[in-house]
Amino acid sequence: MQRDPPSSQVKIRRFRLNGRMRDVLVADSTLLVETLRETFGLTGTKQGCDGGECGACTVLIDGKPRLACLTRTEECEGRDVETIEGLAKNGRMSRLQRAFHERLGTQCGYCTPGMIMAAEGLLRRNPMPDAAAIRAALAGNLCRCTGYVKIIEAVEEAARQAP
Amino acid sequence: MEVLPRFEVVRPSTVAAAIAAHQGGQASRFVAGGTDLMVNLRHGLGTPERLIDLRHIPALCTIATENGGMTIGAAVTLAEILAHPEIRHRYPALATAAGAVGAPAHREAATIGGNLCLDTRCVFYNRSAWAREANGFCLKHRGETCHVAPTGQRCHAAFSGDLAPALLVYGATIEIAGEASLRRVPLSDLYAEDGAAHLRLAPNELLTRIYLPPDPWPALYAKARARGAIDFPLAGVAVALRAEAGEVVGLRAALTGTNPRPFLLAGVEALHGERLDESWLDRLGKLVQKQVSPMRTTLLAAQYRRRVASALARRLAAALGGMTAEGGAAA
Amino acid sequence: MLQNRRAVVGQPTPLIDGIEKVTGTAKYTADLPIADALIGRILRSPVSHARILRIDTAAARALPGVRAVVTGEDCAQTYGVLPIAMNEYPLARERVRYRGEPLAAVAAVDAETAAAALALIRCEFEILPAYETAAAALAPDAIPLHPDKPGNIERAVHHRFGDVDAGFAQADLVREHVYRCAEVAHAQMERNAALVEYDPARDSLTIWSTTQVPYYVHLMLARCLEMEASRIRVVKPFVGGGFGARVETLNFEIIAALLARAAGGKVFLPLSREESFLTHRGRPETEIRLKLGMTRAGRLTACACEVVQRGGAYAGYGIVTILYAGALLQGLYQLPAVAYDGLRVYTNTPPCGAMRGHGSVDVRFAFEALLDRMARELGLDPFAVRRANLLTAPCETLNGLRVESYGLGECLDRVEEASGWRQRRGRLGHGRGLGMACSHYVSGAAKPIHWTGEPHAVVHLRLDFDGGVTLLTGAADIGQGSSTVMAEIAAEMLGIRLDRVRVVAADSALTPKDNGSYSSRVTFMVGNATIDAARALLARLTAAAAERLGVPETAVQCENETFFAAGNDGPGLAFAEVVRAALAREGGAITVKGTFTCPVAFQGGKHKGGAVGATMGFSYAAQVVEVAVDDETGLVTVENVWVAQDCGFAINPLAVEGQIQGAVLMGMGQALGEETRYEKGLAVHTSFLDYRVPTIGESPPISVHIVESVDPNGPFGAKEASEGALASFPPALVNAIADALGLEIDTLPVTPDRVLDALARRRRAQRLAQALEEAL
Repeated sequence: MQRDPPSSQVKIRRFRLNGRMRDVLVADSTLLVETLRETFGLTGTKQGCDGGECGACTVLIDGKPRLACLTRTEECEGRDVETIEGLAKNGRMSRLQRAFHERLGTQCGYCTPGMIMAAEGLLRRNPMPDAAAIRAALAGNLCRCTGYVKIIEAVEEAARQAP
Repeated sequence: MEVLPRFEVVRPSTVAAAIAAHQGGQASRFVAGGTDLMVNLRHGLGTPERLIDLRHIPALCTIATENGGMTIGAAVTLAEILAHPEIRHRYPALATAAGAVGAPAHREAATIGGNLCLDTRCVFYNRSAWAREANGFCLKHRGETCHVAPTGQRCHAAFSGDLAPALLVYGATIEIAGEASLRRVPLSDLYAEDGAAHLRLAPNELLTRIYLPPDPWPALYAKARARGAIDFPLAGVAVALRAEAGEVVGLRAALTGTNPRPFLLAGVEALHGERLDESWLDRLGKLVQKQVSPMRTTLLAAQYRRRVASALARRLAAALGGMTAEGGAAA
Repeated sequence: MLQNRRAVVGQPTPLIDGIEKVTGTAKYTADLPIADALIGRILRSPVSHARILRIDTAAARALPGVRAVVTGEDCAQTYGVLPIAMNEYPLARERVRYRGEPLAAVAAVDAETAAAALALIRCEFEILPAYETAAAALAPDAIPLHPDKPGNIERAVHHRFGDVDAGFAQADLVREHVYRCAEVAHAQMERNAALVEYDPARDSLTIWSTTQVPYYVHLMLARCLEMEASRIRVVKPFVGGGFGARVETLNFEIIAALLARAAGGKVFLPLSREESFLTHRGRPETEIRLKLGMTRAGRLTACACEVVQRGGAYAGYGIVTILYAGALLQGLYQLPAVAYDGLRVYTNTPPCGAMRGHGSVDVRFAFEALLDRMARELGLDPFAVRRANLLTAPCETLNGLRVESYGLGECLDRVEEASGWRQRRGRLGHGRGLGMACSHYVSGAAKPIHWTGEPHAVVHLRLDFDGGVTLLTGAADIGQGSSTVMAEIAAEMLGIRLDRVRVVAADSALTPKDNGSYSSRVTFMVGNATIDAARALLARLTAAAAERLGVPETAVQCENETFFAAGNDGPGLAFAEVVRAALAREGGAITVKGTFTCPVAFQGGKHKGGAVGATMGFSYAAQVVEVAVDDETGLVTVENVWVAQDCGFAINPLAVEGQIQGAVLMGMGQALGEETRYEKGLAVHTSFLDYRVPTIGESPPISVHIVESVDPNGPFGAKEASEGALASFPPALVNAIADALGLEIDTLPVTPDRVLDALARRRRAQRLAQALEEAL
């Protein structure tokens, strides 16, 4: 019953993933979240819903937040994809990762990668966001544990730290 | 966990090539941001063999000022609209509406054309394949019965795009490209009052551009939703109003979320030439109540959507008429 | 003595497993290596109630790529969390009782093949009448869902404490009112999933699952697969929240194991969000008829409460829920007389279960709302009414609950002050208001569900040549931070750095059994067991140090990783030296055990069901909620929340704050928007668009005030910190709406349509009253 896609629908796509050029052979209908998790083993990108509702799969494409569960891998061709695994440099946590850890912006941790990536997208275009801007930027990222208070505090704290 | 159908993606670089790539029927689908289509495909709503990605057509991805008005390509993203200084300044209701859609990650992908061509929504339709099949499917997709109004023969799924009402009150027109045709029509001509077939587009016709006329009236958009983000509108209202010396000389109101199509409120002429006061607002409110026809397509009561549409229309008109200090960004 | 040394406990401490979470390296069940696993899928019932005539799986079995198909035929054992109420099969047998109940499952080489196989399974049903509401299931002509439960009553509870009639007779004001609460769901962010690896050569299996209770999963797998428990290993990886959704073995866990055994290999069974909602176990739809008697001064004289819960199709925790609802009427205030009548009803909807604040939340909503209503009628301040009814610890309630520490009075003072209640209330302008309410919750059920004669909690500490202390616990960290708390306690007791302690948790091959993470038992019980274990280890280290220092053991002290003789100025012995000495003395690696057992005296009243609600320590909470109500759109905006909770002692104040903030927001979700909905028994709320968990967009600032009453039995005085504050949010919200608009709301959630309906009802009533007045 395995319906292999016609080979015309399977192509090599090249894109930058967490700073490294990658070539990946994928079907046109393959979602980015599948490629990240199954091909590259980057399981930090989570899926909490059945499509587009929870924000747990938020990644950055060309620096902008996107939902990996609604994005086809082929759309990423020639673009710059960043996931939670790409934020730490030489094992040093990014300022957002550190702030989320130290300020308890994470409890169960399941929304955390998407939340941090959405916040990363925010800080790149607005380095000193107020609470309202943080709320607006993270509005699509559901969290069931924290009540959001410490998430906002963590983003504020990260903003205060120089990148 | 539902499995996406296998499809190929083609990337035409011109409108003509996009239309030529369409094989007719439902086997080919145009796609831009995919925030509506990909969710529906994940739910088994449709099994296209080919997606035609419009984001590689430069002509559809630009915003331009022309003859005092503005032209927006159908594949321009909501984030681009929201960030565009001239749109924010001259057509604020459009920017408000763009900012009220979903959440930032949706808006980075979603496009104005996609929002105008959004599929209609219903609690019995936007479900998993299992749930729809357990219900014997529905009138909109594979079934015989509308679970919202089982005795009727019409689909009541509601149009839920936020941008249409704002564009309607600005008097926007649209360009539709077909195999051998290019037509420009008022935006309202795009829609039909039928949840199962709400777009007057042939399968291989393509919405390409949106034209905003010059000299826009002051206008606002407001959206009723239960939460501070994510939700589709329970009702969305745009109002454009011109007043001179305390008298209303021009009024347009448009609605979304309540009917299978977004629509311009009819009969507003009766409110022209009068003072904008409480009784005027009451009449506007009643007009809205009479013309919206929300059905049980959302979990919040249909009657609420009728009431809140009316309340928002009153509130926006009052704000535009200078009766209150508050703006219209209620969401 | 314990409170005096606080190098670690009492300090705000980031989670010891937090780095994995923020870097994306934390492995949840779906993140484990599954490339070589078969993919499982479940076929779910399209009908609410039916006799199963036939399930034909032949075509599915014949499909290439299908490796296993299982149905109810493959498991004849029931499962359930309460030994007295196991009436559920992992895959329906003979009868199906709700839309979404598993009928069959397949394991195949990929998800596409599994989906195709499901489509080939043919089922025939003889449809039976279905009951979506408690009222319908209780109707005289309703057929029973379960033959042994006539009338569809899972459990009727009738409790009487004190002289209720006399209490009402003494009251200056008696009011009775009906409150309704919608069914709600946990909506934990991680979808349910299980990975099972079956080894046919050894007939053994390992399961990794999204559970809060690995031990119960272990028990039920052994039962349903009829396997010796020693052949089963249960591992809890990182878990993305629970809130009670995962405090019993769930059908998908057993189904995954059945599939893996049938396929002779490894099966990954992921559930969709919709399926996670259908698996359910949420808080039941509840109707509460509450009657209170009050003196002019605000003293409560009597309470009579009737509760009906729509339990869903199977027992689950139902009996416990209906008992909690009555038991936790008490323990918060002085109540001279209580009558409680509870009905737990079977219906053709997904089974309910335990959810944060188990059993207490809906009844507390009714109680605190009615208390405010009566206060308004008597012209009393809401704070004054609560203060008029405070308990004095230690005491025992009429139903045998022991209250050993009680910080509610201080909680009231703190939020009254912080919210500016006295200065601001009534002066906020149109549509704005302040409301308050109180709540409490247990720190672990004093009597375990499975009575084995074993301690309530067991912890091992292991020390070897590297000088690292390994803490082995069965307690399931599901994000609440229990592993961090245990590490802190061990470090504090041993006088060592926190990072010297590593926690190995919830792997049945390595860690001692633990009942699991529910009823807020872990900090209290496992925390006390950790103290016990640390004392044992410290004694061994002290003995070695005393030998080296040449002083008696009683003279040895340990601080800051140094052992020294009291009063001696010498450099002392570094921890590593003492470890080496101890290992030499003991003959190698040291493992010690610590245990904790709740004394029988705390295990509740002697009446039937009296164990439910009994605990060694109650947490207490008070909160003030500030709202703005838009009377044109009906939208309620929560502007601010001030919450105080008596958690005894905050072992990790950072985590305590986070837990309380999370509980408040979950209370807000239930109060404002969350609601499961069924159309002819079919769940229609099964997405995050239709089940409206609060977003950050409407989330309010939540200011937390920690009150420390230092419980005599809690570890360092600690009690529960993550459930208690939930229950006071919904009543504080409706009390604030009453303050804002004078509008009485008696139904949850307070959705904008309900607000407009209530306003319209009031306008009609006012018009009618006016017309009457004019007519007279």
